[in-house]
This record gives sequence, C-alpha cells and structure tokens, in this order.
Amino acid sequence: MKKLEARHFAFLGLFLVVTLTMLLNIKLDMKASPYTQALYNYIEFLPEGSTLIVSFDHEASSLPEIRPIATAVLRHAFRKKHKLIGVSLLAEGTLIGYRLMRETAGEHGAEYGTDYVYLGFRPQYIAAILAMGESIEKTYPQDYLGNPYGQFELLKGVQNYDDIAAVVSIADGSLTTHWIEYGQARYGVRVVGAVTAAMVTTYDPYLASGQMYAMMGGLRGAAEYEKLIGKDGGGARGMLAQSSAHIYVILLIVLGNIAYFSSRRTKGSG
Amino acid sequence: MEMGTIIAGILTLAILSFLYRDNPIYKMAEYLLIGVSIGYVLVITWTNTLMSLLFVPLFAGSDLWLIIPLILGLLMWARFHKNIASLSRIPIGFMIGSGAGVAIPAMLYGRTLRQLSASVTPLVDSSGVPNISGIVVIAGLLTTLSYFYFSREHKGHFGRLAKVGTFFLMVFFGTTFGYTVMSRMSTFIGRMEFLLTDFLRLAN
Repeated sequence: MKKLEARHFAFLGLFLVVTLTMLLNIKLDMKASPYTQALYNYIEFLPEGSTLIVSFDHEASSLPEIRPIATAVLRHAFRKKHKLIGVSLLAEGTLIGYRLMRETAGEHGAEYGTDYVYLGFRPQYIAAILAMGESIEKTYPQDYLGNPYGQFELLKGVQNYDDIAAVVSIADGSLTTHWIEYGQARYGVRVVGAVTAAMVTTYDPYLASGQMYAMMGGLRGAAEYEKLIGKDGGGARGMLAQSSAHIYVILLIVLGNIAYFSSRRTKGSG
Repeated sequence: MEMGTIIAGILTLAILSFLYRDNPIYKMAEYLLIGVSIGYVLVITWTNTLMSLLFVPLFAGSDLWLIIPLILGLLMWARFHKNIASLSRIPIGFMIGSGAGVAIPAMLYGRTLRQLSASVTPLVDSSGVPNISGIVVIAGLLTTLSYFYFSREHKGHFGRLAKVGTFFLMVFFGTTFGYTVMSRMSTFIGRMEFLLTDFLRLAN
C-alpha cells in the first residue's frame, strides 16, 4: 500500500468539507452582483417572444459547472416566453445542449418547433459564426433531429442576426470571444455570456469595453441568477460547499506558508 | 436507478481514485473518456455536418458547387502518400490564406482597437471629480506595456515603471488563479452533488 502523503490528507479534508456541507443542505443568502443583475435585466426586459440564439460552447468536462449556469438562464428565457434557437460550436456540447433545452422547456410547457428549436453542431466555429451572419438556414439546412429548417414556425422569418435579439454564449473556454469578434463586431449582434468562473477574467475587458453586453460567471453567478428568478438549482445548493471549500483552501495556503517559513528558519539556524 | 446514473457514478469514482494514486481503474476510465469523446465527435461531424451539408445536397444535385470543398477535402488526404503529398498544400494554403484574411482584421479590431479605445477614458469627469478607475486602468496599461518593452534595459525610472507593471500583472494572475480555483471547486462540487444525490441518494 502506498504511503500516505500530505496531499492525500489535503484531498481527504476537501472531500469531508464538501460532503458535510452538502449534506447539511443549508442555502446561503446571495446578493446578485451587478454582472448577474445586468444579464437578468436584459432577459427580463426583452419584449416577450424575442428570439435568442443559445450557443452551447463547452465540453462535457465542464458540465458540473455549466449545468446550473445554463439551466438558470434557460429557465428565465422560457419563463419570459422568448423563442430560443440552440446551437453548439463544440461537438461535445451538442447533446448536452439539446438535453438541457429539452429539460427546461418541459418544465415550462414550451414546445419544440414553436418555442424552441435545436439546430446542433457546426465545425469551424469562426466559419459557422460568419455563415450565420449571412444565412442561418444555409448554415443549418436541418435541425439537430434532421428536420428541414423551413418546417418550423419559430424559424420562419429568421434569416440571420438581424432577426436575433442576442446570442447567449454558454462557454467554458474562449469561444465567446469569437462570437464577439465575428458576430458582434461584423454583424452587430448583441452577445451575452454565461461562462465558467475560470473565464471571467478573460471576458472582463470585453464587458468593460461594451463589446459584450452582460455576463454571468461560475457557480456563484448561477446561484445569484437562481435567486433572481426565484427558483433554486445546482448553484444555490452548491454555494455553502463552495464557500467552505474556499475557506479550507485559504487555511491550507496559510498553513503551508507557516510550515515553509518555519522550516526555512530551522534550516537557517541549523 | 437508471443504468446511465450507475455507469456515471462508477466512472466518477474511478476518476477520483487518481487522487490516491495512478491505477488501472483510473486509466480505464480515462481511456474510455478519450475513446467516447473522439467517437462522439466523429459521429456528430459525419451526421450533422458531412451528410447534411455536403453529401446529401451534392448527390441530390441541389448544389453542385459543393464538389469544390469535397475535392479540397480529399486533397488533404494526399499527404499520406509520398508521391502526391504536395497536393495537400493546396487546401492547406487555402485554409491559411482565408483563415488569416478573416482573422487578422477581426482580431485587430476586436482585441486591439476596441480595447485600446475602451482603456483611454477621461481622467476627470464633467463635474471635475477624478475618474479613479480610469486613472488606474491607464496606469496599469502603460506600466504593463513598459514591462513588455525589451528594447531598453529595465533600469532607473523605466525600470521602476516596469516594476509597477509587474504589480498589475501579479494582481491579474492572482485574480485569474482565484477564479480558476473557484471553477475547479465548482466542478468537484457538481460531481459530489451527483454522487450524493443521484448515485448514493444520501441527500435530496
């Protein structure tokens, strides 16, 4: 059996912190940040029935973080009776996006073809974004299920970005940047982001410059959004665990530094 | 319990077993992930793209121009045969040329010009109150750029300016690291929620 090292105890501690706090099932009182509030306000005050493209620009590995983020935004959009067109610019996000849309649509009684359509995946994201600026139908002659584009009530009259209120990019990487640089800059379509926490600092400059209209970031953003829409989900459930895990990591950093400096002093005096 | 939940639960535990040490169960789960991912991408690309955008319209005769991208695509495979490998340069050249043509102006505009114009804001507002955040942004921009200016030795006043730039860089790295830790924790919490709620059914 392998000898246990310090890192094993660090992992074990994290496992216990997260498990115990999740079993306690206590919900933290969240206050929405200006970022999350701006995204909420945008979707809330869009005229009913506005058409949004929801782009699932993420891989399967980020699903635990993406799921609460996407679910919160989709619930809000369906509740406001906006028309949603789902696309995916990363192959791995294709089925996840379809299932998330179908699940949240089911909660709100939204019908496929009338309230939402899922067009699926296109490779070469830059080419796909540019092509949709010319013609969404030519880029997606069929939906994800193989039905012709013209068959859907929702898509009648949707030619390109001129007929879209905004693109909601649900991303775990830099794909939202391409929506901004090609969709927003060239065709003027409004881009809003719902991204993982790791990507927040990447998109901050775009938010500050106005190239991105609004953004929600990470599990915390999801928890804030859930509070705004009044429906708890994975974000609210995970916030106590998240906060406790962060305190635990800070404690480990402090302890590590104390150990490091005391060992250095011991070596110095020796 | 659904079969999918059981498989997902076992695979999650298999991946987490790496935290103890590298082991065959972890390796199996890792290889399975890679294999399934590649297989899925291939199937999606074939059904969602090649069939619907190329083969069906081409062979139905509705868009014969599609023969051009088909030929370019086939030429890519020429690189696997020594005698005709040079033919693959045609589609590669096409891709690099068109890719650069599309990307350069977009990146110059989106990442440089728009960001530059957003960085330079009035340092004092209309009522005469200093715009603190604007001043900090400009100070950060100039000092960080100084740090990346390598044609002059970082000594004297210029060296001190570059040193301030490193301070802004460290703040950025710290923030990014903090957000990344938060993101990874969220992923772990998401999987733990799945294990405790759906797989082990210990929590609601």
